[in-house]
This record gives sequence, structure tokens and C-alpha cells, in this order.
Amino acid sequence: MLGLWRRIRRLGRIAEPAPEPPSTDRPDAAEQLGGSVQIRHVDAGSCNGCEIEIGAAFGPVHDGERYGARLVASPRHADALIVTGAVTRNMTEPLRRTYEAVPRPRMVVAVGDCARNCGVFAGAYGVTGPVSAVVPVDLEVPGCPPRPEAIVAALRTLTGR
Amino acid sequence: MNTVEVALGCAAGSALLAVLAALVVRRRARPAVVGTLTAITGAAGVVAGAAALLGERFAVELPWIVPLSGIALTVDGLGAAFLAVSGAVAVAAAIYGIGYSHHGLDSRGVQATFPLFVLSLLLVPAAGSITTFLVCWELMALTSLVLVVSEHRRRAEVASAARWYAVMTHLGFVAVLIGLLILSAPADGDTFAAVRAAAADLSPAVAGTAFVLCLAGFGSKSGIVPLHAWLPRAHPEAPSHVSALMSAAMVNLGVYGIVRVGFDLLAVDAERWWWLLVLVLGAISAGYGILQAVVSTDLKRLLAHSTTENMGLVLVGVGASGLFASIGSPVLAALALTAALMHVVGHAAFKTLLFLAAGSVLHATGTRDLDSLGGLRTGMPLTTAAFGLGALAASALPPGTAFVSEWVLLQSLIHGLPAPDAAPAAAPTVTVVVLPLAVAVVALTAGLAVVTFVKAFGVGFLARPRSDAAAHAIESPATMLAGMGLAAVAATVLAVAPTLVLPTLGRVAAGLVGSPAPIADAVSVELVGVTGLLSPVLVVVALVVAAVLVVAIPRVLAGRRARREARLWDCGGGPLSPRTEYTATSFAEPLQRVFDTVLQPVQDVDVTHHQESRYLIAAVEYRRRVPDRIERHLYEPVLSFVTRWGRAGRALATGSVHRYLGYGLCTLCALMLLLVLA
Repeated sequence: MLGLWRRIRRLGRIAEPAPEPPSTDRPDAAEQLGGSVQIRHVDAGSCNGCEIEIGAAFGPVHDGERYGARLVASPRHADALIVTGAVTRNMTEPLRRTYEAVPRPRMVVAVGDCARNCGVFAGAYGVTGPVSAVVPVDLEVPGCPPRPEAIVAALRTLTGR
Repeated sequence: MNTVEVALGCAAGSALLAVLAALVVRRRARPAVVGTLTAITGAAGVVAGAAALLGERFAVELPWIVPLSGIALTVDGLGAAFLAVSGAVAVAAAIYGIGYSHHGLDSRGVQATFPLFVLSLLLVPAAGSITTFLVCWELMALTSLVLVVSEHRRRAEVASAARWYAVMTHLGFVAVLIGLLILSAPADGDTFAAVRAAAADLSPAVAGTAFVLCLAGFGSKSGIVPLHAWLPRAHPEAPSHVSALMSAAMVNLGVYGIVRVGFDLLAVDAERWWWLLVLVLGAISAGYGILQAVVSTDLKRLLAHSTTENMGLVLVGVGASGLFASIGSPVLAALALTAALMHVVGHAAFKTLLFLAAGSVLHATGTRDLDSLGGLRTGMPLTTAAFGLGALAASALPPGTAFVSEWVLLQSLIHGLPAPDAAPAAAPTVTVVVLPLAVAVVALTAGLAVVTFVKAFGVGFLARPRSDAAAHAIESPATMLAGMGLAAVAATVLAVAPTLVLPTLGRVAAGLVGSPAPIADAVSVELVGVTGLLSPVLVVVALVVAAVLVVAIPRVLAGRRARREARLWDCGGGPLSPRTEYTATSFAEPLQRVFDTVLQPVQDVDVTHHQESRYLIAAVEYRRRVPDRIERHLYEPVLSFVTRWGRAGRALATGSVHRYLGYGLCTLCALMLLLVLA
């Protein structure tokens, strides 16, 4: 036991140094939060590429939760929505309702090129438009799909850590 | 002339007047006239019962009514309690019946039978001799049978239910008849007093046989397992006000019979095993009845099963009382019997209310199936309130009506356990085993009753309508609401102020077992002889205060913040359909799983495939039902045996006249031979 204590004392802290705080401007709504952002993910018509990268952003390698971002299971619990995919006709109303269900202050992050400008699906018959055509978007993450580092960087912009 | 005599005369007079009115008044006014007169009959019964409970005694012999033995009426404390209960139920049911009687229920026959049924319910507990008792008992059975079949034109199941009821009630009658005849044979005359006097000379075997026969007969009337099979059939199929009378008043008279025979007529012969038998049957009925009620999806069937449960609890009290009397603790005996009588009274109040409310639902929607009800709160607010109150009263939770009686029952059972430092001789082994089990059964049934009534009320009345009929239900007419209102007032009064009747019932019970009164005359329920104190008023006040706080505190706290109205979160997909709601079946499913080995549900899954490919499914049909297990294992062999005998007997009747003449000759010769030899 004593040996263990001694070993702990000798090793000290061996974690990586904390990264620099994000330099980009935070959205106004994020300024009101205390560094913890609860996020509800909405798939508005994605091909699941972005979902895999979001999963990776919260996986053990990138671990988005250490910056205060956390995925939750209901918009009622959330501060922000993270929307992927071009908004299809069937998902237009549910997306709008989900946005309405988020308590204020609320933010929307559009992840991926489809969410930003419909990507290759622009003008398709089943597509209403980009996310910004349905709900106001505060932050965009480009890429098809975006790299997990880019998603984590966007989340850090929200949390400010 | 004393009050009891006048009131009973009034009851009989107005009942006969009601019969006459039913025959001569034209159809439109018939239910109102008959209902009013029958309500007067019931009210007179209440007055007679109350006067007799307060100490007046009444006995009369009318030798001219029935040849040979005549009619003898005696109202004592025990009979008075049941008389008052029957009368009170009849008042509510009769007023309710005015609005409920339509579509064939306003025919001459049905309307003329109803007051006769009420009168027979009043006369059975007032009977003073065995002949009178049996005549009234049979009148009660026949009139109720006529009322059960009254809707046979509208539903085919009525006929089958009535057949079950007719056969079982008459088998019960035969058992009671033989039992009481055994008692009256050595007696000088057939009045109860004479039978009581002669009971001391009976041998234990004879007395035991008579008691077991009476227990079987009266138990079948009370719906005691395994003689309960008629109850979940006949009660749902009868018109609802008749169901209320049968389930809240008629079944009580079975208990009355058991108490009358065991504690009064055969009190000197009573042995411990009689009461153990009663207690065990009661406990089995209570547990089995409520388990069946939990899994029922038919509203009135659920209530009928709950009647079996409650009568079981009453018999637990009666059996425990006899057991305590036999081991020489009369105080506890009186307490347990008081609990049983109180449960009879409370059960009558809430079961009347529940059956009348269920009838109101049936009247408005045309269905009793809980799985297609729901959402009645908006269309039928008063009926919903009535059923909610009844469900609370039946749930054995404070401040319910059943809570008080079950509390007293549990007190008597718990105090019956020997203290750890008592001498081993003080309590026989059997009580040490039986009483804890009885406590467990009472506790289990109380818990399951809560589930049952949460299911019945939550699924049937709250949430959203599951069918068009339920969505468009409208409130029942004023007379039906008045009947329910009376029952609701009775249930509330019994829950909040049980001491209005509890000390009186205590004196009745004490008189039967020969002990001081077990309940003190006070606002709160105070047990005498054992420690126990319950204040229903304080419980109600505390619950109201707690409820107000629970509602008020979030309002006050939320008042400081900005509020916004938002729609219910339904995953953004639009409003949920009623198909996603809990149904009665799904609500009870976990419990059904827990009690799988007892209930043994039967499930069928039929999968139909597309003709082109076995891999494509066209339809899946899933069926599940919970057949009554006791019924299947006990009744079906008997029924098939009887059927086989019937077939065998048919071989004798070939249709040949010669053969029949031959039978006659053989019988004659056999009789001659018998006479010669004797």
C-alpha cells in the first residue's frame, strides 16, 4: 500500500497539458452558459457519415465530453441542437418542433456540408433545404464528413473551454 | 308497535305496491313509479335495521301466510346489520334503476320482479325460523335469476350465465336445505330459538356435517372459491343496478348465513377445525379473487372478481373470530368479527358505487371492455368522479372505506399472535402457523387491490378514448347520478367517520361471542382490550394538507420564473395515437408474469404467410386469455361426467312404449317386494 502511495507521489501528474482555450468568437447564447453544453443530435436526412464522425468526436480518442459538451436524449434536456444532413421533407416539421422544444437560450450547430448547403442533394425533390432554411443556425462545421477534430473544435467554441 | 315492526310493514307494503304498480302502470311511467316505491322499501329496511341495531327487538309469527309452519320474523342485532345494509343498497339501486331501465328492462316482468328481489333481501336476515329463512332464500334466488336473464334478447351470453347461476345457486340451496334440516330435525319446532336450544344435544359429527353443508351452500352464494364460478358470469350479465344489489347485498347474506349458523345456532358445538376451514377458504378466495380481478379486462367482471376477494376477506375475519373464540380470547374474537361486519358494510357501499358507475359507463358507451374505453373524464365527469371515489374506497388505502375494516382485521390478527415470552400452552400451534399466513394474505390482497383499481380507473376513465363510443360518451341521466351520489356519500361517510357504525357493529359482534364491546365510542377508532388507535379524520386532514402542499409548492416556486406554454414532447412526430396508450391487458402484464404459475395464461400466435413466399408475413394474430384455472380443473371434469351420464341415461329412453310399461312393472314389483320384506 505504502509502495503504491510512493509510486503515485513519484510519478506526479502525467496528463497532457490542457489545450489553449478556443480563440474564435462564441455565439451570444453560449456566453450565457457556464461552460457546460447539453446537446441533442437531430438527423434531418443524413447519410450517416456525419453520425459516425460525431460518434468519434465523443469516443475515447477525441472525448468531446472533457470540454463540457454532452449528448442528451431529449431536446427538453438540451442547450443546443446538432443537426446533420440536408433537411428532408419528412423531417422538416419534426426538426422545427424539436427546436421549439429546446429551452432558451438555445443554439443550433449544422454539421457537414449537407446541413450547410444541401451538398450533393441540393435541389433534390425530397429535400426542403439546408438547416438554416428551417431553424436559425449559430455555428457551421464544413466537411463531407467533417473530421472529428473539426466537430470537437465547434463544440469547444460553444463551451468556451 | 315498535319502529322495527312499522318499518318492516312499510317495506313489505311498498314492495307489494311496487309489484302491483309494475303490472298496471303504463310503460313510460313504470320505471319511475316502481323505482320510487322500491326505494321506499329499501329506506324502510334501513330504518328497521337501524332501530334494531339501536336496541329495539322485534319478533312476530304469522302462521296464516305459509301453510304448516307459517312465517316467523325475528330481528336481532346480527340480522339488523345485514337488513340495514341490504336496505341501503336497495335505495341507491332503485333510484338508479329509474334512469337505467330502458330497452326491455322496463317490461312488466322485470319491473315486478325487482321489488320482490329487494323484499327478499330484507326478509332473509329478518327470518326467525328455518322455514321462513329457506322460503325467503329461495325467493331471493329465483327473483335474482329472473333479473339476471332480463337482457337475454340483447346478448347471447346472458343465457349461459343464467344457466350457471341457476344451477349453482340451487345446488347451494340444496346444501343449505340439508344442513338446516339436520339442525331442525331434533329441535322442537323450526324457529331459530328452538334450534339453538336443541343444538347442545347434537353429536360433533352431525353438527360438523351440518356446518360444512351450510358453509358450502352459503359460501357458493358469497362466491367463495371454489364455488365462485357463477359470480364472474352472472354479475356482469345482469343489469347494473341488479349487479349492484347482487354484489353488494346478496353475497353478504351468504356471510350472514355462515355467521348465523356458526356463531348463533351451533355456537355450543363450534369446533376449531370449522373456523380454520372458514379462514383458509376465505384466504384462498381473497387471494385468488383479486388475482383474477388484476388480469380481467371486462369492467364488471373485474368488479365481480373483486367481490370474491372482499367476501374472502370477510370470511378471514369470521374464521379468525371463531378461532379466537375457540382458544379462549373473546376480545380478539369480537374484534375480528367486528372487522368482518365492518368490511361487509364498507364493501356494500363501495361495490354499489362501483357497479352503478360501471353501469353508467355501459349505458353511455355500450361496452364493458376496458381496452376500448378511456377518456371518459371529459364526457362523463360525474361518473368518473364516482368511480374514482369507489376505486379509492376499494383500494384499502387511507382514506378509503376498506382501509378501516382491513386495519381492524389486521389488528386482530396481529394481536392474536402469541407474545414472544408467552407460555407455549397459551396459543396452539395452528394459530402460530395460520395467523401470520392470514396477515400475509390480507396484505397481499390489499396491494393487488390497489393495482386492480388503479388499472380500472386509469385505463377505463383517464387518458384518451380508445374507441369512438368512448369518445362520444355523454353523462347519464339525473336519477342514475343520484343513485351513484347516495352510494358515494355512504362510502365517504364510512371512510371519514367509521365510528358512526363501528362501535354498534362491535356490540353486535360482542353479543355473539360474549365479550365486552371491542371498539370504544369515540371520534377515532379506538380498540378496547388491545392497543390500537386510528383517527380517520386526522388521516384525511393530513392527506388533504399534503395534497395541497404538493400542488401549491411548485406553483409558488414556478411563479418567480418566466413561464412559457409548450406542446407535450412527442419526439416531434405529431400527436401520439391512442394505440400507444397502456391498455388494461398491458398494465396487468408484469403482474401476470409474476403470478404465471398460479394464473397459467394461454397464448396463441398464428402467423399467416404470403402465398408466394414463406419469407413474407401477411398477418400475425396474437391471442391471450387467462382461463379460470380452478374452474377448468374442478368443473370441467364434473360437467363432462354429467354429460356422459346423460348420454348413458338416454339409452334407457328408446321411445318404445312397451319398454316404458316394462319399467313401470319392474318398479312396481320392486316396491311390492320391498314392502313384503319390510
